[in-house]
Amino acid sequence: MSQAEILRFARALMQAYDVVGPRRKKGRISLGTLSDAADLELEFPPSVHSPKKFLFPHWDELFRFKLEGNVLLEPESAAPPRIIFGMHPCDLHAVKILDDCLFEGETDSTYRAKREATLLIGVDCVPDEHCFCTSLGTDRIANGFDLFFHRRDDSYLVQTGSDQGRQLLADHAPETMAGAHEAPLALQVKQCESHLQFPTESLPLLMKDAYEDPIWKRLGTDCLGCGGCTLLCPSCYCFNVQDKLELDLKEGQRVRTWDSCQFDQFAKVNNGDNFRSSQSDRQRHRFYRKYKYLWDQHQRTACVGCGRCSRECLARIKPTEVLNELFSQTPPQQLETSPGSEYQPQMARVERIEVISNDDRLFRLKVPASFNFLPGSFLQVSVFGLGEAPFSIASPPDGSDEIELVVRRAGALTQALHRVRSGDRIGIRGPFGNGYPLEKMQGKDLLLVAGGRGLIALRSLMLSLLAKRDNYGRITLLCGARSIETLLFQEDLLAWHRSGLIDCRFSVNEQGNSWGIPATDVSYLFRDLDINASRTIAAVSGPPEMYRQINPLLFRLGLPDEEIYLNLERHMKCGLGKCGKCRINNICVCECGPIFPYSSVKHMAEAIER
Amino acid sequence: MKTRIGFFDFTGCEGCQLTVMNLENDLLQVLQLVEVVEFRELMSEEVSEIDIAFIEGSITRRQDRERLQTIRERSKILVALGACADNGGVNLLASNQDVASLRQQVYASDAEHLQTFTPLPLHRVVKVDYRIPGCPIDGQEFLAVMQALLLEREPELPNFAVCVECKLAEYPCSFDYGEICLGPVTRAGCRAICIEGGDRCRGCRGLVDNPRTSPYHKVLEEHGLSVQEILEQYRIFHIGEE
Repeated sequence: MSQAEILRFARALMQAYDVVGPRRKKGRISLGTLSDAADLELEFPPSVHSPKKFLFPHWDELFRFKLEGNVLLEPESAAPPRIIFGMHPCDLHAVKILDDCLFEGETDSTYRAKREATLLIGVDCVPDEHCFCTSLGTDRIANGFDLFFHRRDDSYLVQTGSDQGRQLLADHAPETMAGAHEAPLALQVKQCESHLQFPTESLPLLMKDAYEDPIWKRLGTDCLGCGGCTLLCPSCYCFNVQDKLELDLKEGQRVRTWDSCQFDQFAKVNNGDNFRSSQSDRQRHRFYRKYKYLWDQHQRTACVGCGRCSRECLARIKPTEVLNELFSQTPPQQLETSPGSEYQPQMARVERIEVISNDDRLFRLKVPASFNFLPGSFLQVSVFGLGEAPFSIASPPDGSDEIELVVRRAGALTQALHRVRSGDRIGIRGPFGNGYPLEKMQGKDLLLVAGGRGLIALRSLMLSLLAKRDNYGRITLLCGARSIETLLFQEDLLAWHRSGLIDCRFSVNEQGNSWGIPATDVSYLFRDLDINASRTIAAVSGPPEMYRQINPLLFRLGLPDEEIYLNLERHMKCGLGKCGKCRINNICVCECGPIFPYSSVKHMAEAIER
Repeated sequence: MKTRIGFFDFTGCEGCQLTVMNLENDLLQVLQLVEVVEFRELMSEEVSEIDIAFIEGSITRRQDRERLQTIRERSKILVALGACADNGGVNLLASNQDVASLRQQVYASDAEHLQTFTPLPLHRVVKVDYRIPGCPIDGQEFLAVMQALLLEREPELPNFAVCVECKLAEYPCSFDYGEICLGPVTRAGCRAICIEGGDRCRGCRGLVDNPRTSPYHKVLEEHGLSVQEILEQYRIFHIGEE
């Protein structure tokens, strides 16, 4: 498109839309509604406010009400059709973040109304001394816009990014739409004066250990608490909700206004307590919100490197300087990470291997650093060349750097693991997942029901309980297996049985077994069971058919749904809630499970029913 | 019965009451809900009981003191209207000078019978229930406070700095022009009207509850101000000295 075509295009758009573009205001660039298409600029320095001010405005009416008689609620008015003409790549990235945050869970319909009525037209930019988009990969964008104007000599190459964008061209610039399709331009290389001295993938690790760093204290001393950083941030959306009455006091509106975590009253509650009482706490919170918390959920920062926070900061707090300082203090080996690092295993040494049945071996591994987990969590074990598979952790979370796994010989990977010798090294990732609620179990009676290999997760639980036996009430273990041969942890079971610390009952399906117990299945063990349902939590671990069989028995005992914890292991491939293989309806087992209270899965058809 | 409100003034320029009158149409709407029972700029009547008294100006004479006390006795709620009433305002510029020579300087031959003392904000004389800061007050804030009182809700003043309003309105920072601005420690609520007009903030609305004076003074020092000069900045509206 030539300049003249762009002018015609903009004029045509202004007939149908509220067209927002960059305007000069007090010597700076501010986005606002254009009144003359000739004012449209496509090359401009970063604007003071981002397009957030149109998509998520400072003053946003949620609904109107009337006080007289009944309170009448009127739905929010529809958003005007709007085009934001002139979004830099960083601002387009910021809209993706707003989308992630505001569409997740309960969709924010007020935002959605504006978002859906607004078309986004991107343009390229030249970074200034505060920009650090090149460090975050937000200096360019491949999607998330309707149109994007790329500068080419004295004209622009228009890239379409959506059907709506194509339609916009077809309707308002038909000659351009009909013109020849051209190859995309070679990527421009941008230079930012401000930049991170480390790859962004290291950020979560960097932030993980930085919570108590003295740097927050210093920022708290420097910060004026004006909140400019968050108000100007294109992705900060925290807000306050207030009622504003008309002067007649008969009607009013409920509005949301931008709030800031940097303000004194933001985390204050009615009794006067303030959950972030110092400016240091507040600055730390801001950095964690930008660089850690969203990463944990979406593997991206909530910062797009637009530099608005530091451009306007009187105390000259610059995110790049803060993060680089944190980086310079952190031992480099802790930050060895690169794209895909969440998939890279760490190496663990095999300390000991024990044959615990014909097909099962217990591996004791020394891991690089001890980690916390709840019984029921799992690790991913790698055999390079054969892949990776999940295994329940069989040892208790006792803070040691040695953990135990049980590997049953089945496919190629487990057969390879059975060939591993003491002293060899294997790859592990994790731990992943949610386990049995140890803390909630304190002071309660516990009914553990294991079927077959489900005993592995329950062994971790049982050893945790026995380590602090006095913290729990009666413990009953009902343990079923096909045969004595396949019964895992026989020595542990016999020792627990003989200790008298727990009530152990066994069932095997085979007749004439070597333990001399009658051939039954685990449901028979419920027959003489005497438990106090009001103070009992059940931890159940076995194959799905076992749940179909024994859940009704647990209900009959009077156990409430939320006190029955089931192990719903699936094929957890990535462990990160991404691959979808372990999905039960709308949840990922690796993230939310594998241990679930029955109450949270009973609505899910894929959980237990067949 | 409509809520009975009154306006009173002491030593001040009456600019705050003028701001109220300038509300014009808004004021007419408010009058549907309240009855103005005393307002020297509009009427001459006096009543015995008032629901809400809005008082402008500071106290500089013995007879003012007594008059304020009787207003207090007659009023259920007393609101300090504007900087002079709230904390002394510009009237207190003279607070560090000798009163006798100052009187001579200002009143010359009349100094004898104009017996004034160092101006006092209202709360040094009577109990003040609520305050509307600013020189002059912000009309919309006046309406908001009145609304809250009519609804028997606690009126709330913004507890963040004027900087917030500059950022919201996209005004460039005064410091970027080498101007010394009190915005970073001054309570918002004025919509940064002075900055909009090309001036700097002089702190007429007083300090926020928790002014970050130490980083602020660091900024001022970076702009070449000495401790004495920093204190001078605060003195214009007598803030931070209460």
